[in-house]
Amino acid sequence: MDNIKFGIDLGTTNSAIAKYENGQSNIYKNPVGFKDTLASVVSFRRGRIQIGDKAREQIIKSPLSVFSSFKRKMGTEETYYVKDIDSNVTPIELSSKILKELTNFVTDEVINSVVITIPASFDTIQSNATKKAGYLAGIKEVVLLQEPIAACLAYSNKSEIEIKEEKKWLVYDFGGGTFDIALVSINHRELKIIDHKGNNFLGGLDIDNLIVEKIILPQLEKELNEVGLWKKMITDEGDIKYKKLYIELLFRAEEIKKELSVKNSALLEVDIEELDLFVEMEVTTEDFNKVISSKFEETYTLIEKLLNDNSLIFSDIEKIIMVGGTTYIPYIRKELKQRTNVVVDTTIDPTTAVVVGAAFYAGNKVSKLEEVAKKAENKPKTPSVNIDVKWIYEASTKDKEELITAVIASDFEGFYRIIRQDGGFDSTMKNFKNRFSEFVPLLTKTSNVFRVNIYDKSEKLILNKKDINIANGFYNISGQPLPNDISIELDDEDGKSYLEQIFKKNQILPLKKTIYKTSSKTIKNNSDDKLIINIVEGHGGNMPSSNLSIGYIELLGKDLSMDLLRGMEVEIEFAMSESRDLSIAVYINSLGMEINEVFNPHEKSISTSKITNEIKFAIDELLVEKEIAEFDEDFKYLAKLQIILEELSDLYHEGLDLIDDNTTGRKYQLDDKKRTVIQQYDTLVKSKQIIEEIDNYNETKKHFINHYLETANESQKREYQKIVKEEKEFLAAMNKFVLKRKTKQLEKLGDEVYLKKDDLYYDWFFYFRMKELSEFKKPKKADKLIEMAEVEVEKENIKLLKPIINELYYLLIEKPKGDDDKFIDGNLGLR
Amino acid sequence: MENIIKQIIDMENKSEQSNITDFTRNFKRLHHEFESLGYKIVNPLGEEYDYRDSAIEANIINEDSVIITKVLKPVIYKKENEGFILVQKGIVIVA
Repeated sequence: MDNIKFGIDLGTTNSAIAKYENGQSNIYKNPVGFKDTLASVVSFRRGRIQIGDKAREQIIKSPLSVFSSFKRKMGTEETYYVKDIDSNVTPIELSSKILKELTNFVTDEVINSVVITIPASFDTIQSNATKKAGYLAGIKEVVLLQEPIAACLAYSNKSEIEIKEEKKWLVYDFGGGTFDIALVSINHRELKIIDHKGNNFLGGLDIDNLIVEKIILPQLEKELNEVGLWKKMITDEGDIKYKKLYIELLFRAEEIKKELSVKNSALLEVDIEELDLFVEMEVTTEDFNKVISSKFEETYTLIEKLLNDNSLIFSDIEKIIMVGGTTYIPYIRKELKQRTNVVVDTTIDPTTAVVVGAAFYAGNKVSKLEEVAKKAENKPKTPSVNIDVKWIYEASTKDKEELITAVIASDFEGFYRIIRQDGGFDSTMKNFKNRFSEFVPLLTKTSNVFRVNIYDKSEKLILNKKDINIANGFYNISGQPLPNDISIELDDEDGKSYLEQIFKKNQILPLKKTIYKTSSKTIKNNSDDKLIINIVEGHGGNMPSSNLSIGYIELLGKDLSMDLLRGMEVEIEFAMSESRDLSIAVYINSLGMEINEVFNPHEKSISTSKITNEIKFAIDELLVEKEIAEFDEDFKYLAKLQIILEELSDLYHEGLDLIDDNTTGRKYQLDDKKRTVIQQYDTLVKSKQIIEEIDNYNETKKHFINHYLETANESQKREYQKIVKEEKEFLAAMNKFVLKRKTKQLEKLGDEVYLKKDDLYYDWFFYFRMKELSEFKKPKKADKLIEMAEVEVEKENIKLLKPIINELYYLLIEKPKGDDDKFIDGNLGLR
Repeated sequence: MENIIKQIIDMENKSEQSNITDFTRNFKRLHHEFESLGYKIVNPLGEEYDYRDSAIEANIINEDSVIITKVLKPVIYKKENEGFILVQKGIVIVA
């Protein structure tokens, strides 16, 4: 026999859905916007049906098209006229739309049975109306549960309490818009409501308004030298700037309310341009408690009345269970406890208690549905009718929005809905006949996946297309793709250089990117030193010299206003136009220096000295490779290396002869030849070196897992996970430089873990003790600290030893060399 | 992290309103850092409001309001697998 499993809190202002699974109630998030709750609001505008927060937004714009708080009208004959469809809708129909939308949160299962909560005050007609709304939403089996009971269930399920004799509890439900108090009797885990009271117009929103009116406005009136601000803000025909002020203040009030729930004071900032108003004020818990006390009194009076009606006193009550977001306020919890002398239970999340309890009840309630229907419940949510649809859309684009069109082959009338997978777009339900088109907004520079649902006239799902993928900014046949990678040459740690990709092959022009690097050597002003920015085109995974230089900037020491020190940040912005002009803007913040240059690919800026350096570098690499090949006695490979070596040697000598030649243009020929020969070398050694680098990476990873992973802290573990997550991508890229960098990253991370090991602090202590006191900034202080450290070492008190060691390190005049100091000066000056 | 981003966008908007350009590069640098941490921040200030934009909670001043004139909270997406996912809804005033 199957249980119902799903529970729904169908609230006056907000609703939610949860499922009981493996002993826990899990709340579903709205796939649109990812909130736990759905505003219980429906709007009908321009053929679209909006449900939730987006519908609520429209209240001011089209008040007659937006319907809310219809739960209060359940079971009445009242209907609402909807101009958009020229028809009346009932509270049941509106509630059914909320229920249907909630079932849409569950994308992997069809929901046939559900528990829906109702207020304790609902009579039989209102209860039956709720059931009918459920059936109308396509749910075959609806079981009702009173909200206070649901809250008690959430509490008792979490606390696993055993009740032997009858107890009485109060459920204090103070939500966003309503207040309810219920008297519940519990016996052997059976719960029933004895009596209840409530106020449908008392909630958290009233408290926000009080903060605005009584705390913020008096100060603003002083600042603006105005009176009657409250009236100006809430009058319908009032000035827009005051309405704007009201919305902002309500938002700030809610933030203050949350902050004062955990702190004693909160800083408020109001900044309204139109009123030329900028105010900062401090709001204390005392101010806050003073203004909300009247609202608490209203709830307290209802509690007293409830007990009085039932001839009970507070000592008859075992505990008070708190439900609703407003019960987070410490003043309410404290006052209730002090004045009733009853245990105030806050162990459950008050905002989700009802839906959690509903799901718990559902998880333990056997479904009475026929077996056939039950089987359907476990089936994936797939539409039952097939229709032939032709989809039209661009799979990639540079635009910020794109048109999706669907044409149905047969005659068809119904609704469609398009949702972007990241949760940022929802077309909402819109009616159509035979075809529809909708412009959908796109997130830039990423893939945008859309899900399109098609429903028949009775809003039953008949088609679910999940794979509409529109890429923005990647590739577009109507745009111009880059034929090669564009990279920047950077210094490596061992004095060589490597390429870092700026733009990838096939990206669409125009392109723009900013990178931040640091200077890898000190360049003194007025010296001949220089910082080189070399931008190349070709394969980003090859040696820099096998690429074509398309932009080259030399920043000379004599052009600097002061020394450029090693480690200073250099900001470089690259832009490539559709006609392939490359603009480079270099900015060095610490010098306040900015250089802008535009390069055209037909204007080659080539330095002969750089070409010869590159050839020399390639020769050096080749000689190392040759030595290994000789050792391995790989003669075939050696012969190929020898041919390339001879060609490179010839080019090198040719380059030396051309150093002072600025007229013939032979340097361009030399550059071409150099690239061709180095590309040959790259191709020859590439696969061999990549395999070596992959092995190297795997070894380092294995070493990290075996020696460091267990002792790494959370942030180091996250860093490690990040590298591993990117593994698939960088291993597939077959770029030895990237692989090398990743290996180094892992090695560095391992070093960091090692350096933070507690045992190391003992090593540091002995290191400092061996030092002369004159090697510290304050020898007397250092002496004292060493004495203190000795005591802690003896006690093995690592907690106290750590700050002493850190202080000693700070006092040390010449610090021991770290990794950064090992980095030798780069040739280019940029890393 | 969402709270830090909110404060920075606040500072950026205030600087823009007061025509202070001294921090433009610093803000750009911060945005770069957030991007490298996998965040995509959308500051819709001055844009036309699209009622289908479910990444935004709008407070609409009156029936003629169309432009987002104030951003109380920016929209924040975070990279997850191949795409992005909304982690903070934007809160705006449409006037």
